[in-house]
Amino acid sequence: MKQFIYADNAATTQLSKAALDAMMPWMLSEYGNASQPYSFARKPKKALMDARAAIADCINAQPDEIFFTSGGTESDNWVIKGSAFSDAQKRATITSAFEHHAILHSCYAIERLGYPVAYLMPTEAGLITTKKLQTIISDTTRLVSIMYANNEIGSIQPIKELCEVAHSHGALFHTDAVQAVGHVKIDVQELGVDMLSASAHKFNGPKGIGFLYIRKGTTISPYSDGGAQEMSHRAGTENITAIVGMAAALIENCNAMEEHIDKAHRLEKCLLDGLCAAHVTFSRNGGDNILPGLLSLSFPGADGEAILHRMDLSGICISTGSACNSESTEISHVLRAIRLEESLAKGTIRIALGKNNSEDDVDRIVQALVRIAG
Amino acid sequence: MTSEQKKCFVCGKEPLTKDEIGIVRKLIDKKTTQFYCLACLAEYFEVSEEELLAKIEEFKNEGCTLFK
Repeated sequence: MKQFIYADNAATTQLSKAALDAMMPWMLSEYGNASQPYSFARKPKKALMDARAAIADCINAQPDEIFFTSGGTESDNWVIKGSAFSDAQKRATITSAFEHHAILHSCYAIERLGYPVAYLMPTEAGLITTKKLQTIISDTTRLVSIMYANNEIGSIQPIKELCEVAHSHGALFHTDAVQAVGHVKIDVQELGVDMLSASAHKFNGPKGIGFLYIRKGTTISPYSDGGAQEMSHRAGTENITAIVGMAAALIENCNAMEEHIDKAHRLEKCLLDGLCAAHVTFSRNGGDNILPGLLSLSFPGADGEAILHRMDLSGICISTGSACNSESTEISHVLRAIRLEESLAKGTIRIALGKNNSEDDVDRIVQALVRIAG
Repeated sequence: MTSEQKKCFVCGKEPLTKDEIGIVRKLIDKKTTQFYCLACLAEYFEVSEEELLAKIEEFKNEGCTLFK
């Protein structure tokens, strides 16, 4: 029987046992609405408060700076639209051309309403530089939104420095840290960001839950109107089960972060060494500072989508940066933004190793890649 | 050579179906001139024919025109 290997941890991750255990009581017996004043709501109310405090602690924020959302996409939508709609004078937004579609499509939406948006191009190594931001930012800029780490190539951005540029022009700074939270150390005080998006299923929590960090004193329009939940900024009965699971998963990952990073680097090295030893021609994208475990690899002349499906037939889940659209191949906006040569872009795959992967998994991935792309 | 005239270069089966031609193009090379029948492709990839048929169904449901 074929052994199943999951190596697409940048797409989603397996729910941790700790998160599942934490969630179980809230699914059946403790179903009270945390907004109600009776004693049956006391436990969910406390669970909500504890989860908020625990999550805040993981990123060095205050509990009342954490707003629960349905995930990264909602957090990103809220930031882009809520920020634009909250200031009639400063209307401009700056982002990058290789953000996640949750940011890009939100930006297209406010553009259609007449709000100006500028898209910074990354370097070929996948970096947004402060120099580029300096050339475009002005005192009419309301918001700068740059992702913490790119989801396809893993390049980690100089967030602290970019944030300083934004602040020096009186603009707010947001980072979509969906790929990074729970995997690398995030300290919102050290970074200086005003807002930060996160999604639980990327760090072994449940799907359908995430949070937006909003620094105290930041003005942003509410995401949804209705009840007074989330300090009247995001109406709707709280999903206590998912929130509790998210907090448990984040605590678990943050407590073992160094160990996970070391393991990811070790596995990455095994994989790259294995391909080199087999004389496979490939290049790695994303520059020098990349999310641990994320490998964007380009095989010249190969077809990334064909590699993905043949890996799948070998029981291995990976991702690709290009997709077949009938006779032609569609290259992702990220690979286009870093101006990757077409023959490399078409042959690009993403392997995202996680805490549950082993050296045996990597050996099998290498064997399969040598057979398919070698 | 039309799709009806293509044959499996391993066992010589001909003509190959649109699905057999499409899956080879999808998984090996869109511009390939060397085709396999389903049985020989399954043997080459060391998978079952059922697994390839499941893939073909997915590709067709996604609207991939290589199977038309």
